Amino acid sequence: MNIWFALLIGLKEILAHKFRSFLTMLGIILGVASLLSMFALTEGTAQGMRQTLAASGGVERAEVNNKDPSEELQDLAFLSPGRTMIDVEALRKGAPLVDLVSPEMDMGNVAISHLNKTIRLQVDGACPEFLEIGKFEVAAGRMISQSDVDRVTRVVVIGSDVAGELWPESPDYVPLGEVIRINGIPYQIVGVLGFSESDSAKRKRAAGVSASQDERRARRMGKTKKKPANRYDTYWQKNHVIVIPISTMFNDFRTGSGADGSANFKLDRLSFRVADLTLFEETLNQVRAVLDRTHRGIDDFGFDTREEWFDNIEASIRATRTSGSLIAGISLLVGGIGITNIMLASITERIREIGVRRAIGARQRDIFIQIVVESGVIGFIGGIMGLLAAAGVLQLLVQLSPAENAPVMTLSAVAISFSFAVGIGVLSGLYPAWKASTLDPIEALRYG
Amino acid sequence: MALVELHDIRKTYRVGDQEIAALDGITLSIEAGEFLAIIGPSGSGKSTLMHLLGCLDTPTSGSLVIDGVDVSRASNNELAAMRNSKIGFVFQSFNLLPKFDVLRNVELPMVYAGVPGKVRRERAMAAIERVDLMHRIHNTPLQLSGGQCQRVAIARAIVNNPKIVFADEPTGNLDSHTGEAILALFRELAASGRTVVIVTHDNNIAARLPRRIEMRDGRIRVGVEAAVSDTTPLLPIMPPREGAGA
Repeated sequence: MNIWFALLIGLKEILAHKFRSFLTMLGIILGVASLLSMFALTEGTAQGMRQTLAASGGVERAEVNNKDPSEELQDLAFLSPGRTMIDVEALRKGAPLVDLVSPEMDMGNVAISHLNKTIRLQVDGACPEFLEIGKFEVAAGRMISQSDVDRVTRVVVIGSDVAGELWPESPDYVPLGEVIRINGIPYQIVGVLGFSESDSAKRKRAAGVSASQDERRARRMGKTKKKPANRYDTYWQKNHVIVIPISTMFNDFRTGSGADGSANFKLDRLSFRVADLTLFEETLNQVRAVLDRTHRGIDDFGFDTREEWFDNIEASIRATRTSGSLIAGISLLVGGIGITNIMLASITERIREIGVRRAIGARQRDIFIQIVVESGVIGFIGGIMGLLAAAGVLQLLVQLSPAENAPVMTLSAVAISFSFAVGIGVLSGLYPAWKASTLDPIEALRYG
Repeated sequence: MALVELHDIRKTYRVGDQEIAALDGITLSIEAGEFLAIIGPSGSGKSTLMHLLGCLDTPTSGSLVIDGVDVSRASNNELAAMRNSKIGFVFQSFNLLPKFDVLRNVELPMVYAGVPGKVRRERAMAAIERVDLMHRIHNTPLQLSGGQCQRVAIARAIVNNPKIVFADEPTGNLDSHTGEAILALFRELAASGRTVVIVTHDNNIAARLPRRIEMRDGRIRVGVEAAVSDTTPLLPIMPPREGAGA
């Protein structure tokens, strides 16, 4: 028998009992919808997390952090100078596997003022490498240069939202050349960094306005009731960054900030970028070897890599996906059992018809194919309806979820969910089809 | 060689520990173009015989050759192919598919024969024309009368151009007048050279066929299978008698 004819008969059979068929499909519809929504949600979260990771420097970025030296060296710990510019020089010259080294000294909660407008933010003293290692872009003007660092100039590069907050009445103003005061000391703005946001926030903005623009507008209108921005948000931090040359930072703010009132040479952050990710471990070993010398053999440093973060993201996504698939799978399975049940009832109803078909020359195989195709068609239509339902649900979820984690429907997720639906449809038809095809034609003709 | 040859056919069923012989050594041959009746009371084995002749079942022992093919040991698929190409069935309760219209019902055997759609349609139309139902071609069986349904069933039985048509109590569900019309149709088929076998327990019908085989207790009743003379008029149709079709 022709497969098209079997499809036709299947469709006819389904259309003959529309409501019953719909109820049968419901399990598949819900299963596909939940499977697909789950895929889209985890994919959205995964994409959001990966982008956040990439925005903060990616896996190739690592940091040297402070660590308590091991027990046998603790009495000698004072010998180590800690993380200083000496480390930076040593790494630049002695660690070829490292392609960028970025030292930072920072100061939290600093008064940044222009005329009578004051805001409080963190200020970073950094080198030009800060730009590249943190994946920043210069929107206007320039980044602080090596000569700024060498000549200890009082210049500053600001994040895009800082300009907006200091010049609230003109949100699009590019304040190049303006002078702002950092803890009272005047600095000239030489550059403004580009606005940074996640892809889904970008998509969201394509239709409306960004959160920070909204925020500014609301403030301008005198509305004080607003959600406080999350200062731990990578994108918020990137847009509120204030960078001055590290030498200027030291000269202006660190010469007397040591524990005993002496100069504080210690770096607050020491990041480096691995030239070749395949040599990640080797690079860490090289850095360790170099810093061992500069720290006089005291192991008071460790590494903070994004690999762990990355692994955590992947692991948590895998876990969500597994548990989600399990739940959606169970609902698909229940749907499949529903199909089997209805198909069994349906062939009992049609025993005589099956007998007639056998009598006029249908082989067992023809009957088998007919029943399997019919339940496959139920799975197929249920799958399509499930996809539509999922599309509707996701429209809603996009509105509800945070911008950077908006659910993303991928083609592969659609393909997987849909083929699951058809597969379950076919599978659940196998047993009824076998039963129908092994009916004795004489008995079947006599039935009813 | 005869179209159908049976030699010492036995069919036994096992019910619990007992073996019941539905057919107990049947030897019979049917020539091409014969028009015959198989009669007998219920339980005489006539249905079992028809199932064997119709390739719906295989005998327990003995040989059954239809159109040169030994079907007594044939596989399921071979039987299906025989039913499809060499045998047509007409049932007491019509057994049309209620969801399909007349045309599709008649097309059905050709679907399983793998006949392409266009040819299928043409041949179905020809068969429907033969039973004079062209005006109801797109009606479903539920919209037809009993006699019309049986005509559709006959069209379906002959559409694959089979060697033999089996009719199981074809007039059993019809009033006597319609029954006569259906019988006339079978006569026409037989007259055009097809072998027609009617299974019935109605002697009024059987009496008018050229050959009768009477079954009793799984055997053919000896002596009764005397051919009615060839001069017995097949036409015109006899007026309906009382008790016919009961």
